[in-house]
Amino acid sequence: MESIRGLNRWLFLATVFLSVNIAKAQQPIVDSTLTNRISVLEQQVADQKPGESHFMVVGLATFGYVRNKTTFRPPGGSGQILKTNSFGDAGNYELSPMLLWRHGNNFLIEFEPSFDGSTLEVNWANVSYFAAPGLIIHGGYFVVPFGIYNKKLAAGWMNKLAVDPAGFDLPGTDFGIGLSGTLPLGSMKWTYDISLTNGLQLLSDGQLQNAGTVDNNQGKMVSGRASLLPFSNSSLELGLSGLYNNAGDAGSNFTTAKVSMFGADLNFVKNHNPFLINIKGQYNRLNVTRQNYINQSDSSLYTFNNKTSSLFAQLSIRPVGISNKILKNVELAYRYSNYSTPKNSAWGQNFHENDFGLNYWISWRTVLKFTYAKSHALSTADITAGGIPGITDVNSVYLQFSIEF
Amino acid sequence: MKRMNIKTRTWVLIFGTTITIFVMMNSCAQNKNISAKSGAQLWVENCQKCHNTPSPESFSHEQWITVGMHMQTRAQITDAERDKIVKFLSQ
Repeated sequence: MESIRGLNRWLFLATVFLSVNIAKAQQPIVDSTLTNRISVLEQQVADQKPGESHFMVVGLATFGYVRNKTTFRPPGGSGQILKTNSFGDAGNYELSPMLLWRHGNNFLIEFEPSFDGSTLEVNWANVSYFAAPGLIIHGGYFVVPFGIYNKKLAAGWMNKLAVDPAGFDLPGTDFGIGLSGTLPLGSMKWTYDISLTNGLQLLSDGQLQNAGTVDNNQGKMVSGRASLLPFSNSSLELGLSGLYNNAGDAGSNFTTAKVSMFGADLNFVKNHNPFLINIKGQYNRLNVTRQNYINQSDSSLYTFNNKTSSLFAQLSIRPVGISNKILKNVELAYRYSNYSTPKNSAWGQNFHENDFGLNYWISWRTVLKFTYAKSHALSTADITAGGIPGITDVNSVYLQFSIEF
Repeated sequence: MKRMNIKTRTWVLIFGTTITIFVMMNSCAQNKNISAKSGAQLWVENCQKCHNTPSPESFSHEQWITVGMHMQTRAQITDAERDKIVKFLSQ
């Protein structure tokens, strides 16, 4: 009996000993290198987890070289020639990083500071609220909806030529609110883009500029563009724009001054294998109701028909469908532009320009442009108002590099 | 009952007409052939209206969503087109 109890005790101890050892044997051997690696991977996954907000920086840079030959011929006089050549010409140099913040799926904040070689400015700073399908509400400092050039085509890496067409600065960028959207219409589409902003300011010599942050009067500028894309492949877009504004300073002699502007534009892009054909154009007409302006030379009052028109028509062709890797990145471009400012004003002229371009696309967003521009301007200015009569011819050669990043 | 003056009635008429036109336009259903278009096809048709067609490798999925919203404010594409193009570019 005593021996059986002893045997049981030994069996019990042996079982406990074996169980403890088996349990120890089943425990994994922890490799610290592996756990560290797992921790790093877990952190990387956590870092890449999409959040509700997203921030990114894109933007563009444009720089180059320009060589000008300007010939001025006063009435009855001989031509005066001025030659210049420079890097980073003020009108053709730009570094503009664009900051984009997305808050959820409904808010987008866009801010684009820009350095043009001499000043640091802001191209736009606005908030967009994607309220519903086909309805975006935006507010802040934005490009006024008018035509296609300023809002859609002016960026250096989109512009087919190294220069901008003359006469498309207004209505520019302004402070205000707006609505925009695109809606289906069967097999077509239509778009709208309207805004209410501080508007334009009429200066004492009859020229216009943006009023800025503080409006110069109680009236606000209403402007808008509507377009129709009649084909299901969106290859053609036809747009109409309009603008209306009280532009005179409050309490000045220009309180009755009204500015109206009309615009029409066309955008056609089509693949005709192997060529990609790109046709764009815009016509603007601006009218200011008749006012008495101040002669800058003797401060007397004078008047003129304050109407301005500007036009550009552009064609570019690129053989995207051919197999040659060099030639398929070559693009030929041509643009005609015309700009007529008020006759008998201090700055009246009939200006037209022909631009010829040869571009090489290094990537979809990087381009090297060679542009030859030839312009002719005939002064229609009033000499007694300080205008300078004569003919100005300018021949320019541009070599420009532009990238979107 | 006090009648609305002419100015108020004009504004009500303009507002009502605008809303009606908006609703009518919105109710014009998209053609089935259009709504069946792939993201790749919409990418070609819409992007090249202003610039070259972007490479899908240029940005990450999250970045394409942000870029898509930015482009919608510029190129004025529909919401459905934007979503399809972003989905194609994110692949």
